[in-house]
Amino acid sequence: MAPRNHKNWLSTPKVEHISSECYNNYSIYEQEIEQIFAKVWVPMCHTSEMYNDGDFRSTQIAHQNVVALNVKGDIQVFLCPSIDRPSGNGLNTDGLKKLHSEVKHGGMIWTTLDPNPSQSVEEWTCGAFDCIADAIDTEEMEVFHYHKAIIDTNYKLWHDTNSEFYHDFMHYFNRVSGFNDEYFARKNIPFDNGHVNVSTFTVNYEEYEGFEDRGELSFPNLPPNQWYMVDLFPGFNFNLRGNAYRSDTVTPLGPNRVLIEFRGYGLKKDTPEERNTRVKAHNSIWGPFGRNLHEDLIGVAGQGTTMREGTEARNILHGRHENSTIHDEVGMRHYYEAWGKFLGVSPMNPLAMLQENVQAAE
Amino acid sequence: MTHESQANMEKSIEKLIYRAALALDDHNWDDWFKLCDNEFSYSITSFSPEINKNMTYFSGNKKELKGLMDMLPKHNTDHSPLHRHTSVYTVDVADDGKTADAISSVTIYQNMLDGINSHIDSGESRLFVIGKYIDKFKITDGTPKFMSRETKIDNRRLDKGSHWPL
Repeated sequence: MAPRNHKNWLSTPKVEHISSECYNNYSIYEQEIEQIFAKVWVPMCHTSEMYNDGDFRSTQIAHQNVVALNVKGDIQVFLCPSIDRPSGNGLNTDGLKKLHSEVKHGGMIWTTLDPNPSQSVEEWTCGAFDCIADAIDTEEMEVFHYHKAIIDTNYKLWHDTNSEFYHDFMHYFNRVSGFNDEYFARKNIPFDNGHVNVSTFTVNYEEYEGFEDRGELSFPNLPPNQWYMVDLFPGFNFNLRGNAYRSDTVTPLGPNRVLIEFRGYGLKKDTPEERNTRVKAHNSIWGPFGRNLHEDLIGVAGQGTTMREGTEARNILHGRHENSTIHDEVGMRHYYEAWGKFLGVSPMNPLAMLQENVQAAE
Repeated sequence: MTHESQANMEKSIEKLIYRAALALDDHNWDDWFKLCDNEFSYSITSFSPEINKNMTYFSGNKKELKGLMDMLPKHNTDHSPLHRHTSVYTVDVADDGKTADAISSVTIYQNMLDGINSHIDSGESRLFVIGKYIDKFKITDGTPKFMSRETKIDNRRLDKGSHWPL
């Protein structure tokens, strides 16, 4: 194949693709906040962050300050414009607007700014958690890890790293512990509403020098050393690796800036020794000084740089069809189809359609 | 211990903490490990008001740390150098002269080199983390060595960082 010149580079590809405009335009970002984040169910925090009556935990969804409150064991969520702390005990809710909320999928607290949600959390997630339900819902879980990162990149690029798996080549750990026939046979499974999960395989932890098998302390009903992943639209990720569980939540701060919050979980019934084992296993891959997380953040920071606002639009190919196996881009195609529907645009040409929509509305 | 020998040991430990900072700044892991007892253990910890819990972000013994450092060249990492500004606040030598504890304040700056937009960012220094070193020492024949170090940081926001011990 001859090298592509600039004209070739910008021509319409013959395979599925999206435009990099999806990642770097302020109008699109504003529409995403309004049309997606202000409408979907958001997993804002975990019940174990607020065990006691009166405990509260705050977050921000679509620029709105939101607080989850433990009211004698019942979790209630409110819009709370004046909240000034991440957590605490004792909050006067007089005059605060109550939001719809549910506790679901391993004790996560879900809420939505939508005053009339058309779906329950169960209906919204529509089966994406089924693959790990027996593992995360059998025993009560407890959060043991929290940190956050603010990265100059688009929130979808972070979600993409959990959807396309060919970036696994940048992880030395994954190359040595996972790249075998079983890994390449993992399936991407789409669910309604843009969700995807990635089926499991056996990770060979001992292939990484200094690491040991992690079959001990697997989550309930989970065979040893398995690795499941649930990618929930529009940017929430749930990751179960053998004896530790992780969730990521994104808060878009601009078209090229995202806050990512990372949580790690064990079982509430853990002994101190068991908890230490889980914490160490979690940190070794997913901690801020672990083997993989930092590499992922380097990757998406680089993508954010090359696709920042003002750069020439280019086409991002989603054309790999490999029987839905691990490097098939079926998950990416599925996500962006849902994303386009929410915004009423084509991901291949989002700006032109967005402008048409604005003009039609005027 | 006499008052004079105790004062001398406190000074030796203070120098040891500063030598460790230099070795870590230079990625001279071998020199750092030479300052540590074979039973040395290391951790990075923090308290999260968000989840109201003490957390361990990283931990390992000397053997595990050496293994991880040996593997680093195989990993993609941000090579922006870290600079530790350490101030030793307290050194307490045990009455029997065999162990000691020390607490130091540490501020770590990251001098941007690569990883994001090097044309714009490189050369800039950013505050990376703040915290304390909580150190324990074993003293054998008048020579102190690190038995443990807890790097207790205040940060819970840790952006694109590094694989290195702090």
